[in-house]
Amino acid sequence: MAQIQDNGGGGHGKGDKKRAKKQSTHVDMTPMVDLAFLLLTFFVLTSTFSKPKVLRMIFPEKLDENVKDQKAPEVKDGITLLLTANDKIYYYRGSLKPNTELIPIDYTRTGLRKVLVDYNADMLVKLQDIQKRMNKLDDKDTAAKRKLDEEVLNAQKASKQIVLVKNDEGATYRNMIDVMDEFMITQIAKYYVIDEGMAKLEVDLIKKQGK
Amino acid sequence: MPRSNPSLDMTPMVDLAFLLVTFFMLTSSFRTPEPVVVDPPTSTTKTEIPKQVFMITIDNQGRAFIDLTNPAVKSRVFEKVCNQSGIKVDSMTVKKFAGSGAIGLKITAIPQYLELEANERTKVNQTGVPYDTTGKKSELYWWAYYTRLEAHADFKAREEEAKTRKLPFDKSNYIQFAVKAASDAKYDAVKNVIQVFRDAKVKQFQMITGLESEPSLK
Repeated sequence: MAQIQDNGGGGHGKGDKKRAKKQSTHVDMTPMVDLAFLLLTFFVLTSTFSKPKVLRMIFPEKLDENVKDQKAPEVKDGITLLLTANDKIYYYRGSLKPNTELIPIDYTRTGLRKVLVDYNADMLVKLQDIQKRMNKLDDKDTAAKRKLDEEVLNAQKASKQIVLVKNDEGATYRNMIDVMDEFMITQIAKYYVIDEGMAKLEVDLIKKQGK
Repeated sequence: MPRSNPSLDMTPMVDLAFLLVTFFMLTSSFRTPEPVVVDPPTSTTKTEIPKQVFMITIDNQGRAFIDLTNPAVKSRVFEKVCNQSGIKVDSMTVKKFAGSGAIGLKITAIPQYLELEANERTKVNQTGVPYDTTGKKSELYWWAYYTRLEAHADFKAREEEAKTRKLPFDKSNYIQFAVKAASDAKYDAVKNVIQVFRDAKVKQFQMITGLESEPSLK
């Protein structure tokens, strides 16, 4: 952008004689602009925009080891998910018997999600209904909104749908997060991850039935 | 014939360039160098990571690394843990620790590690913070324990300060525990680490995940 000052050549102006050596006010800005673009490119390329997302998990306090007769939650009609190696997952309904049939599923929409959606259908209908009423509400009506939020909480508390999750040493962290995520999506209100993992009978059943 | 001037007026473009530079400079935050690169699993959650976290990174071999976003609290926790294990550290080492990023070493190896230059640090093969629960309390337990105490103290101190200076106080700005585990890490390893934190009475965790597309129930 080096400017060549053109002084008109002919010298028509009347001020020509007095102010012939007028200093140019133009500063060469090329290096500055170069630097600006360099910095711009640098920051565009290095900046990370999306903050990582988090899944909140609350673990209960550890059981007191001195109290012996604490049991795992009783499941009568619940679903038990068994997470095992190579991204395999099995489930069964109700309590465990030596002849319980394990049903193999996968982590996709047609697998685990379909099972959970079918299982939790009542709850989903209830929540959709609440959501519809929520959408009809005026934005400023916080009292009514709070009431509906409370209704959601009560529905979750009253939920009879229970899912247990057990894993063996082959299950990965991704498997567990996937399952947790499915619970969020399908609005399962009550789920338990069993600290001890699978029982021996379950391991044997997988060995026998799984391929 | 009139000759057109070959020089363009670039002022608006330069203005814009500087505006963008300023924007990116102010919004970008630099990633601190990490000893391990961990690829977290994805989920559909939209909750963003809290401002202040105690980050526990678990790689696929089950090694645990720790980091804290708040340097003041980080140095206090470090002093306490050193005290606990009977190691004497000077203020210089503490300062270095506060700015060091994630570390996965035994407490006895940390002062030596901090002596190294940044490029030498990357060559150190970190073994992970020990969290084996057999026998007495593990080192990770003490990290968790003192962080929990200091996080609480820090929160109280800021609340107090806001009260005396009559400023609004951001209650959400509590140091929280975040777990960033590799997606192919064994769940049992992650569970063992979390178990240690549960022993230290930490119950709430933010599991860091990547982003996934909107789910559908059908």
